[in-house]
Formats: sequence, C-alpha cells, structure tokens
Amino acid sequence: MSLLETTGLTRRYAGLVAVDQVDLAIPEGGVHAIIGPNGAGKTTLFNLLSGVVTPSAGSIRFGGTDITALPTYRRAALGMARTFQNIRIFTAMSVLENVLTGLHPRMHAGLGSILARLPGFRAEERQAVAEARAALALVGLEGQADLSAGALAYGDQRRLEIARAMAQKPRLLLLDEPAAGMNPAETRAATELVGRLAKGGTTILLVEHDMGFVMGVSDTVTVINFGRKIFAGSPAAVRAEPAVIEAYLGSRLAAKLQAQHGG
Amino acid sequence: MSIPGWLDDFLWTYQNLIHGLGINGLLALSMYVVLAVGQLSLGQAAFMGLGAYSGALMTMKLHWPFALVLPASCVVPVAFALAIGVPTLRLSGVYLAIATIGLGEVLRAVYLNVDLFGGALGLNGIPERTETWMIYALLALALAGFWLVGRSRIGRAMEAMREDATAAAVMGVNVARYQLAALVCSAVLAGLAGALSAHASSFIGPNEYGFEPAVTILSYALLGGIGTPLAPVVGAWFLTVLPELLRGLPEIRLAFNGVIIVLAVLFLPRGLLGWRMRRRAA
Repeated sequence: MSLLETTGLTRRYAGLVAVDQVDLAIPEGGVHAIIGPNGAGKTTLFNLLSGVVTPSAGSIRFGGTDITALPTYRRAALGMARTFQNIRIFTAMSVLENVLTGLHPRMHAGLGSILARLPGFRAEERQAVAEARAALALVGLEGQADLSAGALAYGDQRRLEIARAMAQKPRLLLLDEPAAGMNPAETRAATELVGRLAKGGTTILLVEHDMGFVMGVSDTVTVINFGRKIFAGSPAAVRAEPAVIEAYLGSRLAAKLQAQHGG
Repeated sequence: MSIPGWLDDFLWTYQNLIHGLGINGLLALSMYVVLAVGQLSLGQAAFMGLGAYSGALMTMKLHWPFALVLPASCVVPVAFALAIGVPTLRLSGVYLAIATIGLGEVLRAVYLNVDLFGGALGLNGIPERTETWMIYALLALALAGFWLVGRSRIGRAMEAMREDATAAAVMGVNVARYQLAALVCSAVLAGLAGALSAHASSFIGPNEYGFEPAVTILSYALLGGIGTPLAPVVGAWFLTVLPELLRGLPEIRLAFNGVIIVLAVLFLPRGLLGWRMRRRAA
C-alpha cells in the first residue's frame, strides 16, 4: 500500500486549473521527486498535500487515512512535515527554539503542569531540547543552536528548516525546492543530506528544478505540466520520455533533438 | 505593624494613581496576550466595560459578596469574546479588529439607552470593595503566569504563529484554538480590571469603554513592546504616569502623548523593553 495516495486531486482558481486530476501513489521509503516547468502546479500540489490549500475535487490518503478534509495541524500529528520554497523559519527565535517548535505536536504537558513547573513538564522539556539538538546535528547545525535563526546564512536557513521538520519525526517529509538558490557545493551537500534522511527511514517527496539534483537522489520521478501528471517512472525512464522533453523544451525543439539523436 | 503616617498620607493622596497603574497593567496584559498570538483586537476596553457593568450590577442589585463578584465579572466578557472570536478568528487579517471596534460602539449605545445601565449618567454609588493589594496580586499572578507559559511549548507555539501562522500550522500548532484561547484570556483580564476599577472609583459611565480607551490600551503594548509580558505593563505605567507629570499643561497633554507614541513606533519598533524572552525551560 502507498504511504501517500491522491485520486483525481484538483485545485481550480478563477480561470485556471492549477492542479488537474492528479493521481499520485508514493510508496513508503525512498526519495520521490515531482518535476515540471515553472507554473506547472508543483507548489500548489504541495500546498494541497499539507493542507495549506483545500482541494476543489479529489481526495488524499496518507498512511491509510483519508486526510482530504483534515486541517494542516492534524496532518503534522499524523507524521507529515514540509519545508517551503521561500524559507519560512521563525527568524526572531533562536535556531534551537525553531527546532523545538517542530516538537510541538509530540509534547503533551498541560497548562497546569506548565504553570506549576511539575517534574513531568521539566522532563519533557529536557527531552525536547535533547531531541532538538540531535535534529540539528543531523543537518550539521549543532554549533549554531543558540544563534538567532534570522542571522544564519541562506544555505543554513534551508538546513534549519529541514531540521525543524525532522524534529517532528515525520513518516513523510515534503521538501519544496531544497536546492533552490544553492551553489554547486551546497547542492552536493543537500543531495547527500536528502539521501541520509531517506536512509534513516523517512520517505521524501520533493519538488525541484535542479535536474542534476533530482536525477541524483530520486528513486521515482513524477512529471507535471499545466497541472496534469504527464509521466511517472524511474529517473532514467523520465530522461528518455518524449512527452517530458517536449514539456521542457517545446514540441519543435524536442522533435529536432529527437531527429538528431535518432529518437 | 502599622503604616507610618507619611506613607499613609502618600497612599491616600495618590490612591487613584496607584489603582490606575495596577489596573492599566492588567489591561496591558489583556492586550499583550492577543498580540502575542499575532492577532489585533480593539475590544479590551469593551471587555473591561462588560466586566465593570456586570460586576457593579452584581454588587448593587444582587448584593453578592465581592469574592464572588470578582470572578463572576469575567463571565459576560468571556461570553462576548467567544461570540466574536469563533466566527472572526477563522478569517485572517483585520476582521477581529473590525468586529471588536464594532462591539465597543454597540455596547456604548446599549449602556446609554438601557435604564438598567443608568443611561448617560452611568452607575453611581458603587460600593468601594477594591483593595489595592487585590489589584497588584492579580497583576503579579498574571505576569508570573504569562512568564511561565511563555517558556514552554505553548509560548513557542504563540511566538511561531505570530511570526508565520501557516508555518506554525505545518509544525502541528492548532492556530485557531490558541487564538481563541488568547482572546478568552484577554477577556478575563479585562473583565477583572473592569470590576476592580468599578469597585475602586464608585462611578462608571458609558464613555469610559469606547474607542478612545481601546486605542490607549493598544498604545500601552505599542510603547512597551511585546517581547516579554513585562514590556506592555511598563508601557502602561509610562502612559499612566505621564499625564500626571503634565498636569500643569492640560491643553498639550494629549498631543504630547501622541508624539511619544509616534516617536516610539518610529525609533523603538520593538518597544521600550525591546528584548524577547527565551522560549525554553530546560
């Protein structure tokens, strides 16, 4: 059974179908990529999956539960985490506090226990700080724990966002353009990090423009164009698929290339 | 132990100011808790008025003891907070602010036109039941409570949703529930402040809880800041003492107040007490 499954998932805006009848089946484990030209509907698809946007039609199942109508915060509790294309860390908080926020749904101390500073509350906080430090170590930010998050370099902010998401101990991690704006060295580090997270048992679904990055880390690739799924398969199959080349390069250039390389 | 004569004189002379500092401190916290979750409400004065009128009526008509009146005077403000918060907090943006401004004006019209509330004359001869220690005990409790909650997962969730409500929801924070709880908490504090002030001054009138006091309460938090719970209280103290210092210049008092707030917003965007509290307890 798939970890994440969408059926006929659709999101219409006035005069535009951003996501059109998309069926996805993401198996448990591994790294799965969604690619497509600019404006293909990738980010809208992520917003639908995480509940930031509600679908116009279709359904989403996650871990066997229908989550189509579930609010965003409940999806987090079920084990779905995400990052954003335009990094959305809490800039006024410290790096460690950002990651602690990711632990929110797994912490349970009640108001009374918090006000009375009961041992249960103290133990939970200590445990949370230890887990947050471990999540920072996972992405290599353990030395910056007490810095203000807004003061981090761009690449480090991306890694902090991943650490914050990983603190949720998610079953599925949605990464929205994890290599955007990164130089080749940073991209290589991101490739290595994504591979490591997947090895640790987290299923990764990512949206990305950097084809080198996608082909390097992904087990499966789904291609979207004009809101529709046009292909899904292994990275090698995607590279050879005429419909994909056409979506990226336009039909005339694609035909020319095909003629030159003998199909 | 008896209070020395000079201190007794001092307390008696400045009793109104001493009460005002504590009550405005409570109102500043009532503003703080809403701003702390990233919402803007201008209903604190309205909640205060509901607490003042309902509390005064419980004392004058029902002859309840003050120990019962004080907690009971939160009931009506909380009911109004729920009635306004449940529909408006699902919407983002300024809907709560607009609805709460409306609430204040509607209530002012009700106080003016319903006999039970004494019309334009307000309620007179409210028994003086408020003791100074009650005001400051509640203020201290509220400050301690916010401080303790601030350094917990709840405080982190509050700051997270203030910075970015969508990102907070993705982290698993039930944003709508926290925002409603904050508004209810705000109504409780303002209701208590209202009942305490009504039973300290023996008179309340319909114009004490309109738009102008609502903006004054907002300015406590603007001036003091909201990085810590103490900051808005200091802002309230500053703006409560300032008019006393400018007593000789009644004409320019309001203008002076305004200039100070403008300067504070321009040059101290995070308030007089600009630092933020650490969000961890371990």
